[in-house]
Order: sequence, then C-alpha cells, then structure tokens
Amino acid sequence: MEAVKSVDLVKVYRGKETVEALKGVSLSINKGELFTLLGPNGAGKTTFLRIIATQLLLTKGEAYVFGYDVTTQPEEVRKRIAVVPQDVQTYGSFTPWEYCYYFSLLRGMSKTQMKTNAEKSLKAVDLWELRNRACSTLSGGEKKRAVIASALSSEADILMLDEPTGGLDAVARRRVWTILREMIGQGKTILLTTHIMEEAEMLSDKLAIINKGTVAAVGTLQEIRGLAKEKYRVMVEGNLPDINLVQPNNRVVKFGNRQIFYLKDEDEALALAKKALKRQLKAEVAQVTLEDVFIELVGGE
Amino acid sequence: MNLKPLKDMLIIAIMKAVPDIKKQPMTLIIIATLSFIPLFFTLFFGGQVSYALVGGMVGSVGFIGLASATQDITWDRYLKIREIIVAMPVHPISYAFGVALSKLLYASPGFVLFMIIATALQILPLSSIGWALLAVFLCWAALSSIGFVISTYLRNANLSTLSNMSNILGLVFIFIPPVFYPEQMLGDFRWIAIVFPTSNAAGLIRNHAGLALLSPDMVLLRWLVLIGTTLVSLVAVSLKTRWREE
Repeated sequence: MEAVKSVDLVKVYRGKETVEALKGVSLSINKGELFTLLGPNGAGKTTFLRIIATQLLLTKGEAYVFGYDVTTQPEEVRKRIAVVPQDVQTYGSFTPWEYCYYFSLLRGMSKTQMKTNAEKSLKAVDLWELRNRACSTLSGGEKKRAVIASALSSEADILMLDEPTGGLDAVARRRVWTILREMIGQGKTILLTTHIMEEAEMLSDKLAIINKGTVAAVGTLQEIRGLAKEKYRVMVEGNLPDINLVQPNNRVVKFGNRQIFYLKDEDEALALAKKALKRQLKAEVAQVTLEDVFIELVGGE
Repeated sequence: MNLKPLKDMLIIAIMKAVPDIKKQPMTLIIIATLSFIPLFFTLFFGGQVSYALVGGMVGSVGFIGLASATQDITWDRYLKIREIIVAMPVHPISYAFGVALSKLLYASPGFVLFMIIATALQILPLSSIGWALLAVFLCWAALSSIGFVISTYLRNANLSTLSNMSNILGLVFIFIPPVFYPEQMLGDFRWIAIVFPTSNAAGLIRNHAGLALLSPDMVLLRWLVLIGTTLVSLVAVSLKTRWREE
C-alpha cells in the first residue's frame, strides 16, 4: 500500500527571483518503509517534505498521503502525520514531558493514552530521567530528542523528519537511528531527509537522490549502488609521484597523498591493491559507497 | 457538535501560558504594573480618572491582543513550532485565539485591577460590567485576528522588525484614537472613535457606565460596527490567513 505518492510535483517560489525548487518529482513510498530523500543543500528535499506535510502549497502536480490529496484534503492528511522540521527549536520553559503532553493533547489523545505514549517515547529517546527539566537547561541534542519524542508519541502513521540528526553528536545520532528503525518495526512509515550519507546507508529501506529539483535516482541501497559505472574503489595512501597504477581512462580522485581509484572489476581492483602494497603503500579495496554514487549522480567531484 | 476547535484553543492558551507563569510568576506582577503606566500619565497630565480607568481596561487587553499575540505567533514561527502545528489537525482560528488567549491570561491581573478600582470608585456601576466585558472581549477578538493575519502575511519579516511593528501598531490603536481621552476632543474627526475597535469599545463602556452618554441610534451603530469589525477580522483569519505557505 502506498503511504505517500507524488506525481510530477512542481514547486515554483515566486519573489524577486523565481526559483523552480521541484521540477516534476514523482515518488512512491510504501507503508512501513523508511524512505530517505538524499540530496545536497538546496536540492528540494525540504520543499518536497513540506508539501507532503501540508505546510506548503504545490504549484503543479499531485501528492497524496494514504490516498488523501494534500491540496484538497489537508485535514485528513494531518490526522495521519507527525513532523519534525529542520532546525526546530524548543520553548525554553517547556520540559520534554510538556512537549509530549502539548502535542498529544492537540491530536485529541486522551490523557491516559498520552501519558503512556509520552513515557514510552521519552524512554525511547533516553530523556525519561530529564523529563521535568526545562528545555533551556538541556543540550542541543537533548532538545532535539525532546521534539522527536513528541512526534513519536503522536501515534501518527507517518513520521516526516527533516534532517533530524543535524547538529547531533555521533552517540545521539545513533540513538535516534535506533529509535527510527524501531518505529519501522512497529509498522510506521518514515520519510526522512538528510545529506549525511552514512545516515542514508544505515537507515533507508529505499532512497531517492534529489538534485536541483529532480530525482536523479530512486531505489534500495543496492539498486542505487548498482547505478555506479565502477563497482569497486581502491584507496591508496602514500606518495605516488610517477607510478602508473591504472589505465588512463579510470576515474581517480585525489585528496592530498590519498587517491581513490574507481574500477569496474573486482580482480582489477585487487590487482591494483597488490601493486600498491608491493610499493610499500597502504591500500584498501571496497565496494563503492553511496557517497561515491551520489557524487557521480549529482555531478560533483 | 464538534468541540475540538474550542478544546484546541484552550489547550494552546493553557500550555502557552501556564508553564511560563508557574516558572516565572513575577511576570504577572510586572505586566500588571506596566498596565498602570498610561493611567499614571493620564492623571499626571490632568486627565479624568474615569477616562484613565476605562482606557486602562481597553488598553491592557487591546495591546495584548494585537502586539503580544503577534510577537508570540512570530516567535513560534522562528522556533518552527508553528510548522509542527500547521501539520497537525488544528484549525488556524484555534491557534490564533489560543495564542491570544494565553496572552490575555497575562493581561488579566491588570485588567481585573482596573475593573475593581473602577467599580470601587463607582465609575463602573455593577449593571454595566456585562457590557464592559462584552465590549472588551470583542475589541480583543478583533485585534487578535488582525495581529494573526499580519503575522502570517509578513512571514519574511524578521523577528525584531515584526516585534517593533506590532508594538507600534498596538500603541497606534491605543493612544491615537480616544481611548484615554474624550471623543469630543477630536471635533469633526470624531468618526475616528468608531473606526478603531479600541476607542469604539471605550466609548461604549463609557456610555453604559453613564460617563459619556451617546444617542440610542449611535449606541446601536457602534455595537454593530464593533461586532462587524470582529466578524470581518474572524473571517479574514479563516479565509485570508496564509496558514499554509504559498
């Protein structure tokens, strides 16, 4: 069953300058799936999410959440979604508990249900012990987790999270990842935007790479990796002033004394690594990463 | 009957006021004290106590409705809390009046003090309290609606610009029309008193308290204008508000 569907979605911002943020985006997100929108800054990820979340009107095209039209049936859509905006901040005087309480009551939840959900959510984000502390006294990561907890306690079918781990340290980020995967285990659908490759790799059931308002690729992680022209990468470290390790047509990226060679064939990659090792250089063979594919697709270096 | 919009309004009002008041109860005393500043100046410059008290009642609530509510809604936008609420099953009117009502809770000690003093000094007879409350409520509803529409239209304005603008507007609505001074001072421009919901409400309160009597036709006209202004403002919130961005 499709939880979210967009057909030729176009969004044009008109102002001093006209900006076409989305240029006909068609995506389909299944129920129970964690779907990631991956793209560079300004790619159109947030615009897409905000249209689906009924915060922003579309210019052209269609978008549906569980079959409800986001343009003409926003009330029905809003009953089924919970949103964590990018760079959301907290009221300093609110406690994490009050956040869950406030938003759950607005969703029409009973106080008993609200208390059960708030406790579960705050424990999930590891804020139960801090539930009665004013947000002004919490760290940035704890504040973010308070807002995420309020979304988790909503019982919404779809969670829409716009770069939810932005500004979090590695430990806090992994805690959020765990929670999100647990939500998927409970049958929720999650639409996530990020520009962190590792996050997209670790979390996504399916992902779309968005660049300049268009979908550059969509599929599972394996499917996206499969789009790469070269399937293997060999990272060689050390001084390589005049050695000719590969054919001239192979793609090579240099970072100081580190070089990444992209190769189509595993044997070719292993041979290259052996050559490098013989010359007392460090060498590492791996499959291409999502980031490699991403750079290839969005046209960067 | 669907009571959710009303319930949501009360939830927003309580949640946006009570946690703050519980943690900073002194705020109530400070706001109540500040409400008395115009009263002090009116008396200092030889104004009548009756005008100062009625003006204080309307002014304390009117200013809160327009300026503070606008600032609070803008603050929510800045924190992106409003984005969360827009994506929830909450009607914009519930949100607008929830925020405005939360600010009214802050203004209530000052307002109640003005009422008590005016009643104790027999400026406001008990029989006129109902009319006074109705006029002040309509004035508050109209100004809160105007504030909400402004705050949603000027979404590109930064926080301090909108804050300054709403403060200036609040002052314009309270100090330019005859809220603290007699309408007769305007001469041929007396119609201004009817146009502004603040001075219209103040004039009606003075009429019902027997302080400045109006003709029955004028009383009817002024009530109709006040109710009309409020209704038009409410419709503007409902139809014209950019709840969902374009």
